Amino acid sequence: MNLTAGFQIIVNGMATGGVYAIFALGYTLVFSILGIINFAHSAVFTLGAYFTYALLGSQFGFNGLLARGRLPFGLSFPLALLGGAILAGLVAVMVERLAFRPLRKRGADPLLMLVSSLGVAVAIVNIIQYLFGAEPYTFPNILGGLPGSVNLGTPGTPLVARTVQLLIAGVSLVILALLTVYINYTNTGKALRAVAEDATTASLLGINTDRLVLLTFFLSGFIGGIAGTLVGLSVGITGPYFGIAFGLKGLSVIILGGLGSIPGAVLGGIVIGIGENLVPAEHVGYKDAVAFALLFIVLLVRPQGLLGRTQIQKV
Amino acid sequence: MMKVSLRLRIAFLVLLAISLTSIPAVFAQDATEEAPPVELTGEPVRIGFAVAESGGSSLFGQEQVIGAEIARDYFNDHGGINGRPIELVFQDAASDEAGAINAFQTLISSDVVGIVGPTLSQQAFAADPLAEEAAVPVIGPSNTHPDIPGIGDFIARVSAPVTVVAPNAVDAALALNPDVETVAVFYAQNDAFATSETVVFQAYVEEQGLTLLPVQTFQTTDTDFTTQITNVLPSEPDLIIISGLAVDSGNLVRQLRELGFAGPIVGGNGLNSTNMFTVCQALCDGIILAQAYSPLAEGEINQALVEIYEEEQGRTPGQFTGQAFAAVQVFVEALRALDDEVGLDTLELADLRVQLNETLLGLTYEDTPLGTISFTEDGDIVQAAYFVAQIEMSEDGTEGSFVLLPSAEEEAE
Amino acid sequence: MDSFINQYGFLIVQMVLQAVLALSLYLPLMAGQLSLASPAFYAVGGYVAAVLSTQKFLPPAGTVFPEPVQSLVIWLATVFPGAQDGLYPAGLVVLEMLIAGLISGVLALMVGFPALRLRGIYLALATIAFVEIVRVLSLNLPVTGGAIGIFNIPQPFHTKFEYLWIAGPLILLSVWFVARLERTRVGRAFAALREDELAATAMGINPTYHKVLAFTLGAVLAGMVGVVSAHFLNTWNARQGTFDLGVLVLAYVVIGGARTFAGPVLGALLLTALPEVLRAVAGLPGLPTWLTEFLREGRLIIYGILIAVGTVFFPQGLLTPEIFTRRRRPPGIQDSGAGETAPTEVS
Repeated sequence: MNLTAGFQIIVNGMATGGVYAIFALGYTLVFSILGIINFAHSAVFTLGAYFTYALLGSQFGFNGLLARGRLPFGLSFPLALLGGAILAGLVAVMVERLAFRPLRKRGADPLLMLVSSLGVAVAIVNIIQYLFGAEPYTFPNILGGLPGSVNLGTPGTPLVARTVQLLIAGVSLVILALLTVYINYTNTGKALRAVAEDATTASLLGINTDRLVLLTFFLSGFIGGIAGTLVGLSVGITGPYFGIAFGLKGLSVIILGGLGSIPGAVLGGIVIGIGENLVPAEHVGYKDAVAFALLFIVLLVRPQGLLGRTQIQKV
Repeated sequence: MMKVSLRLRIAFLVLLAISLTSIPAVFAQDATEEAPPVELTGEPVRIGFAVAESGGSSLFGQEQVIGAEIARDYFNDHGGINGRPIELVFQDAASDEAGAINAFQTLISSDVVGIVGPTLSQQAFAADPLAEEAAVPVIGPSNTHPDIPGIGDFIARVSAPVTVVAPNAVDAALALNPDVETVAVFYAQNDAFATSETVVFQAYVEEQGLTLLPVQTFQTTDTDFTTQITNVLPSEPDLIIISGLAVDSGNLVRQLRELGFAGPIVGGNGLNSTNMFTVCQALCDGIILAQAYSPLAEGEINQALVEIYEEEQGRTPGQFTGQAFAAVQVFVEALRALDDEVGLDTLELADLRVQLNETLLGLTYEDTPLGTISFTEDGDIVQAAYFVAQIEMSEDGTEGSFVLLPSAEEEAE
Repeated sequence: MDSFINQYGFLIVQMVLQAVLALSLYLPLMAGQLSLASPAFYAVGGYVAAVLSTQKFLPPAGTVFPEPVQSLVIWLATVFPGAQDGLYPAGLVVLEMLIAGLISGVLALMVGFPALRLRGIYLALATIAFVEIVRVLSLNLPVTGGAIGIFNIPQPFHTKFEYLWIAGPLILLSVWFVARLERTRVGRAFAALREDELAATAMGINPTYHKVLAFTLGAVLAGMVGVVSAHFLNTWNARQGTFDLGVLVLAYVVIGGARTFAGPVLGALLLTALPEVLRAVAGLPGLPTWLTEFLREGRLIIYGILIAVGTVFFPQGLLTPEIFTRRRRPPGIQDSGAGETAPTEVS
């Protein structure tokens, strides 16, 4: 393998990994604070993309109840992105109220929440199909005159990356930085960490746990909505199962980086992205197994993940 | 405290359910009422229609449902089955095997004379044997695996495995770009049709004395193709050939263009869908495709289909729609012929199904959206016309159309 | 009645098979291990059946096996009714089940020993990874037929309903086995591990041995269901036995009740029937058109909401052990195989 090819693999890995990372950021947030996996995150991610699409004032597809309709107004892309993310955040809050809070109040087994959030995910995906049809949607060209790809190498030894994927990787890092600052240096963030440490003690200390849980879900949905839109910019909204396709791999991303570790989600994404790009072209069919093989190995060798805390489970 | 919130929650869910179920009621008011044609009388003739209306393949299923509904309305407007109306009984075959079996089982036990479906070849292998055992004629609207007609006497299909025309698309591309020397081939490894089509493509490329670069595979569920593309682009291919489905191939084309490939692209039959336009938009421009169905094909019925579809949907119909329409049409014409011959009223359901099967296999259907078609003894489609077309996109990428290439219309054997 | 069986024969057997699959997930859970590996073994079992029945066992039985096995194959192929009828001998299906059970068991030991050191959600995730790896392998290995899989799997029966001849004994035996198990020393060791692993270990229970045993038993059961399913569906491919199936089976267990074997069975029966019940409701005459339309297109919306609501309102599941003990108390007899009575109480 020559050097250029090696660099290209790293560039590709970062580009692919950025997508995994941005998907996993919202996913891992809920886990880090609440210790539960929210299967509905994929569905919220998908919804975020559809919301942004709708707020742009673009026409809905050809099937579903809303076929060929459109909103009476259209927002500019940044506003639509923000609006879509807020709406996705609100949906995540609804998911919390419906599928998580009643169980949490009773101290139910977290595995129940796995199932209830799965039920919500099934419902959301099918509501999307009911309203928007099963066809793909594509955002209007937001990047305008920007070239489709950027050459990071020299003209002689090109290292190409798609502009939109660089954008995604960049936004992932920005979100990561903002989240880190928020959680470590603000009062709310500190309260969140207290809840993550021990919810009962936190509420005894006068922290309003319910409000913080809602906030966590809102943030998770908000980030998920941004992620859905950006990935949608890159590959289109491929239909109601858009986010579901990332769900399973997202799971291995957050484990690999360390369940509950927010920088770990980004690292996990990039490790898997590079790992997938290391699969030789003639065996590319096995690419999808890379994430899970890595996951399996990491779980056996270092169950707390690459950046996770050592404590695995409270007795 | 707990009790109250429980009640509240129930009330909320009931409200949610009511509001969800009432959405269609609100929308139904301004939906156009289809006035049943006055002249049709008597008990409707029921045809089962079981395709993927839910799950991962519903993108295809919804196109098929539209085609079937247009066919039903069209033939009811044109006399039904000699005066009796046609009714379609829809059952969701979902996107898995068990779903297809459940849908088929429901239809077989009902009074339908035959079944159109299911969407995927894998589902057909699961569900078709049931219809065979129960002696119910089945027409596959989109099953392209070579062994489908062989499942049994009652299994036929209107979806030709158009690997025969794959080379024509390559010819068309070579005619437009005579300097092509090296060719890169991509195919979707988890799609049954793409894997058989790519073999034909590859053999033809080598037959033409062109250099074939290492073959790149992907999955129809993939959205990111940078790995495969950056594998191939340094070898500077002059032509790229893709066998896949619409959404994945659309993304592949888009990423090929964005990463700097400027040469011609040839697509297999799986790319023959207007859903491609949505995904790669302006970057779809220029793709050359093999088509089993073309909205541009002449013929009264195809033009009627295109006109109705455009009015309802605001775009041109694709292959799934055209083939679903043709499947319903086969049943309709066979029922008419059978009615002329012996009279449908004189037959018990079981006899009717058996005789319908015999009739439909024996007829030639002069004017369908797929052109003139008939069936082999086995039940495989014999289709006269295939097409090679090129995609033309508007500048802003919002409107797309297929343009038939001059050398295209080819008589298959 | 006949037409009911014609229409719902497939569904009834499907419900039974899913119930056995639910038990395969319940078995490791008895020892406190949340494993979602069942679909992987189910997939393996299906491929074992598909490959053996389409390539190895086809009558006249080839000479692919060494002698004692060959005689067994021929004997099984002739001794059971059906062979003369042009059908695939049911005896061979049973043989396939044994082989698949064996393969799944060995595989489970190989995966189980390292994986079962993990706890809770981590074990679940490791098993999900295992399921995905098996799926990718089955899509890529030459023996599994790639995307299209293996089709035209021979049929041991004329109708789907007759599969009850295999599925019926399978569920009865598994229920009997699990019910017995709950009352044996091993079963009590499972329960002790589930309640408190530390305490159980202190009492002298070997955690690794019991966890791997529970996991392996579940795997064997899932592999056997896979065999029956492959014949039952006529075809087998990489889309069977995926992660989706895993969470669905988990939903059976959780909604039915995870603390008694009757719970998973009931959950599987209900959730498998539910989409078809909704289909039937949509077909009822006299409903307003919009409701029929919604039921047709929005079936899975209702299904998803019901799963969520069911979990939220019945966090213990529909069936809890207390239901049985309360009823059983009056006679005052606790043992002597009382376990078999539970399934009838379910229905």
